[in-house]
Amino acid sequence: MEQPAVNIRKARWSSYLVAFLITALMFATALYASNYFNNARIADIRATQDDISTDILSIETQFDLLAEHSCANIGENTILPSELVSMGNQLSYLEAQGGNADEVARLKRLYSLLEIKDYLLMQQIATKCNLKPVFILYFYSNSGTCSDCADQGYVLTSLSQTYPQLRVYSFDYNLGVGALQTLISIDNVQNNLPALVINGKVYYGLKNVNDIQKILPQLKTLQKAASSTPVKK
Amino acid sequence: MSGGIDLWVVYGFLFISMYFEVFLLTSFIERRFRSKPIVSPGGNPLPKVAIVVPCFNEEKSLSSTVQSLLALDYPADKFEIFIVDDGSTDGTLALAKTFENAGRKESRVFFGEDCLSDQDASSADEKNTRLFPLVRVFHKENGGKHTAMNLALAHTNAELIGCLDADSIVEPSALRAIVPVFDNATVAAATPGIHVKNPSNLLQHMQHVEYRLSIFNRFMLAGLGSAFITPGPFSFFRAQVVRDLGSWRDGHSTEDMEMALRMQQGGFLIANVPSAIVHTGAPKTLRGLYRQRVRWTYGWLRNAIDYKHMFGNRAYGNLGIIILPSAIISIFAGIYFFARIVFYTVRELIAMVERIMETGIYPHTSFDLFYFNTSALWFLIFMSVGLVFALLCAGTMIGTEGRRFPPKATPLFLLFYSFLVPLWLSAAVVRAAFKTGVRWR
Repeated sequence: MEQPAVNIRKARWSSYLVAFLITALMFATALYASNYFNNARIADIRATQDDISTDILSIETQFDLLAEHSCANIGENTILPSELVSMGNQLSYLEAQGGNADEVARLKRLYSLLEIKDYLLMQQIATKCNLKPVFILYFYSNSGTCSDCADQGYVLTSLSQTYPQLRVYSFDYNLGVGALQTLISIDNVQNNLPALVINGKVYYGLKNVNDIQKILPQLKTLQKAASSTPVKK
Repeated sequence: MSGGIDLWVVYGFLFISMYFEVFLLTSFIERRFRSKPIVSPGGNPLPKVAIVVPCFNEEKSLSSTVQSLLALDYPADKFEIFIVDDGSTDGTLALAKTFENAGRKESRVFFGEDCLSDQDASSADEKNTRLFPLVRVFHKENGGKHTAMNLALAHTNAELIGCLDADSIVEPSALRAIVPVFDNATVAAATPGIHVKNPSNLLQHMQHVEYRLSIFNRFMLAGLGSAFITPGPFSFFRAQVVRDLGSWRDGHSTEDMEMALRMQQGGFLIANVPSAIVHTGAPKTLRGLYRQRVRWTYGWLRNAIDYKHMFGNRAYGNLGIIILPSAIISIFAGIYFFARIVFYTVRELIAMVERIMETGIYPHTSFDLFYFNTSALWFLIFMSVGLVFALLCAGTMIGTEGRRFPPKATPLFLLFYSFLVPLWLSAAVVRAAFKTGVRWR
């Protein structure tokens, strides 16, 4: 137990300074630690990015192989690997957290390219192998002008979970990727988001689960099988 | 709420609160290496002491309070007990009278001008054989604690006058521990080490932890010459200083705070004696705690306005430059943090409900390390909690014998108590702004 304490009133400027420096050091440590973990996340995504690069090469190779092989070895579910799903979720999280915006945008561009590649490949597989995959192209914006995009994302996530074979490709409308802009031009998607492209037709505004089930009756034919792409919110 | 401004405000409040905690901790560490004892060994003859027990409807707890005073290790002819019934409507007065009678049976020597007139002074030595101190009982119309204190002050010639709330009990050694600090002529008041009396439910156990923090704060503020509260349980005053300052005032129902600020304004020193241990009753219910703390905070805010000239005033040293401004800022920081948490929580809940209604999907939590929040804000919050824990450990070292770790309820306190505090802070700010006043009960 401490002895009694008392003191005269005086300012202790040196103590104020020491306390200030220690507090500033604590703040600096917190900022450094936060930055360290964010960089670790980016490194994690970069590793995923390397995997995706390999996947892109693999998809391109599959395009070539398709011309020479039968459909026996290529099913609906061979593409769109789990790394892509994981990366989509991680990108959604990082984008929501803010920070590292340039890096996140760069990774999103790669992600979109892979989605487009997968989409095109699946169309070719469907034609060659007489399959009927069900696609939804979802265009959203994170720029703050799309109030319904978050809800649309949840609706599509719900559909993806209900129908695992449903392939939902989500794209940031404002992402500066040439291939994406070409896709937007081909489908003639206007900047009136959220927008869904289903069976070649564009639907604008929030569509709930029932709306989409009416638009896309093939949904009922889908069974449990492949995973879908994560849906950007 | 603009996100940018909001973050700046949050970081600003966090910096100020952490700075204050770091300042106290570094001062504590510095003190352990540099401080000199303020109590000289041997000391002077023990002074006469008067202890006042103001009570209003305290029949349930008064008995144990007075019993603890009667058990104090202090020469019986050197102190007297004043039980001042402040217009009770229960059996407090009758109960108090039983102590008065018991005291008289054992005690034949009185001091105090009015009582000495009844005694034969020449035979005082042979009569000085009593076992208990004099217990004097007064009854008055209800007027508040400060009026009870002033009544006792007017009826004693003791050198020191102290107060013990009727819901508190003292350790037998408390008086002998606290009195010697008055050997230092510059000390005008001294505060004890206050602990929660027999905590039984969760709320009381959390207050038990909180009081360890108060032990640290009270000790360090005294060590920095910046004590601005002389709490009701067993604080002592140099009686003549109190008279010179104009005796106790209502002080917006916090006369202990007003008197301390007036002493600081007058240039008097306030010491803290953690080894003078007193156990005080803590509210058992949230409602009781809320009322008590609204009164305390309201009193603090209104007194802060009355003594606003001390804020930022270098003439008052640490008190004016650091302590008083930090104490005020902490109130608004607590309210802001709470409001922010409520705002974002409600917003998220509403969004979640809307999404559930829209999609039928219930949210799920991911335990993937990737998704753990590692923002700087969270690191700072953890550091701030760590600092509070360090203060609690220091408070335990200061206020207990041989213990190093705070009570077992500390995790509960750290997790939940900060969510309770803004309730009374907010209410007190509103009341102080509109000068509504507060009542004891």
